[in-house]
Amino acid sequence: MTTYPVGLARDLPNGRVMRAGVDGVDMVVWRDSRGTLAAWGNRCPHRGMRLSHGFVRGDRLACLYHGWQYDASGQCRYIPAHPDLNPPESIRTVSYHAAETGGVIWVSLSEGPEPPEMPADFEPLRTVFVTASEAAVTAAASRTGLEGPPAKETAPGVFDIARRRIILFCNPAGPERTEVHSLIEPGASSEEKRLASRWCEAVRRTAEASERAAA
Amino acid sequence: MSLEYAQNDWYAVGFTGDMSDGTERQSALLGRKITVGGPGHSPWVRDENGADLPVQVRYNHVWTAIGPEPRRLFDIAEADEPDRRFVPCGAVKVLCSPLRAVENFLDIAHFPFVHTDILGAEPHTEVSPYRVEIREDVDEVWATQIGFYQPQAAKSATEAITTKYEYRVPAPTSAVLYKTCPPRPEAWDVIAIFVQPFDEDVCVVWPWMALIDETTAYGDLVHFQQEIFLQDRSILENQIPARLPLDPKMEIPTRSDLTSVVYRRWLKRKGAFYGALTHAA
Repeated sequence: MTTYPVGLARDLPNGRVMRAGVDGVDMVVWRDSRGTLAAWGNRCPHRGMRLSHGFVRGDRLACLYHGWQYDASGQCRYIPAHPDLNPPESIRTVSYHAAETGGVIWVSLSEGPEPPEMPADFEPLRTVFVTASEAAVTAAASRTGLEGPPAKETAPGVFDIARRRIILFCNPAGPERTEVHSLIEPGASSEEKRLASRWCEAVRRTAEASERAAA
Repeated sequence: MSLEYAQNDWYAVGFTGDMSDGTERQSALLGRKITVGGPGHSPWVRDENGADLPVQVRYNHVWTAIGPEPRRLFDIAEADEPDRRFVPCGAVKVLCSPLRAVENFLDIAHFPFVHTDILGAEPHTEVSPYRVEIREDVDEVWATQIGFYQPQAAKSATEAITTKYEYRVPAPTSAVLYKTCPPRPEAWDVIAIFVQPFDEDVCVVWPWMALIDETTAYGDLVHFQQEIFLQDRSILENQIPARLPLDPKMEIPTRSDLTSVVYRRWLKRKGAFYGALTHAA
């Protein structure tokens, strides 16, 4: 069973909605006004509208098309065309599992997400979208430096660069499309974060160039 | 899917007003390349081999068909009334099934959310019961006795009114709306969409209006309608699947969707499957 990192927790504030791609599955990930996370198939069961275009009202996600409201469990609770109707239990979204640990949002298609072990207190750095496979990104990371020797992979996904450790979490969002979420070890100065962010960009360029060369 | 039914319908493929002698435009119909040429009063349409296709000019549009025995093009009686203004509204290309475009046009429950503060507004979201029938004598779907609260029902509306609506589906890819005319509440404004299927997943919507409105500038009328259709496009290009599912297991309707339910039933009964999914994916 696979657990996928779909975003930095910081980038999905309470009451916001985002679209995520996980192993070819189109998904909506959202947080209610109190911060509860949910991840569903990106489709309103009524007329097939992508729920990632929807909006949050309190503890519910509303579809943009007809305003049908779903609670965090995916159960439809309100149909504006019929305000007095109690929506039947059969109207529910396809629900997946979402969790937040270490500043990252994790999703799994089957049981509860099992995020990898990771050092505590790393700070979110940035998300980079790469047109290349996950393997190309990982290979590129250990070949890319910043005006110096390439980064050193000290543990799976953990790279030493600019005197700091950076963790890269890759989400294979589609064929040849990888979302790379990065975190940096605690205590980094803003200059070190700036350098680390530049390194992430450089990794993206290296990965995309290697993928083009291979094609 | 099945071209059999679709190929014998007429489709709008051009607007007579923007065609002059020498005009030549590449287009597509039912998965085939076509060329549409002017002038607007005697247009021509050719298939990919340069062969002429049948042509007629009606409702300010050029119509063609590719099958051997096209059914008669439906009548819109108001097109012959001398006191009306005829307003073709251009073309809106949409990446969706032509049937999804028609179904969206038949839907009022989305007005408060998609056409906010124009055709609807919260908290006025309730859809009262209305009537839908298949009129067997003319083989058309009709929805009647619809009423809906609208902040600005038309360009000519000066205040919010409860607009009365009737919908008519005279062919699988065309729909006609009769709605309260704000300056003359005893009469109906007519708004129609003629949908040109490029293929099963891409279409062009040609909106056309026959209005009782002598004052609003032509450009303002077109702009008002274009804005509405662009709002609809943001929905239509985000429905999954792009084709209209006719299998009732795939989508869940409610009472306010009665027009859509009967429209789907009617398509199924006729075998009008171009742009539809007949089985759960």
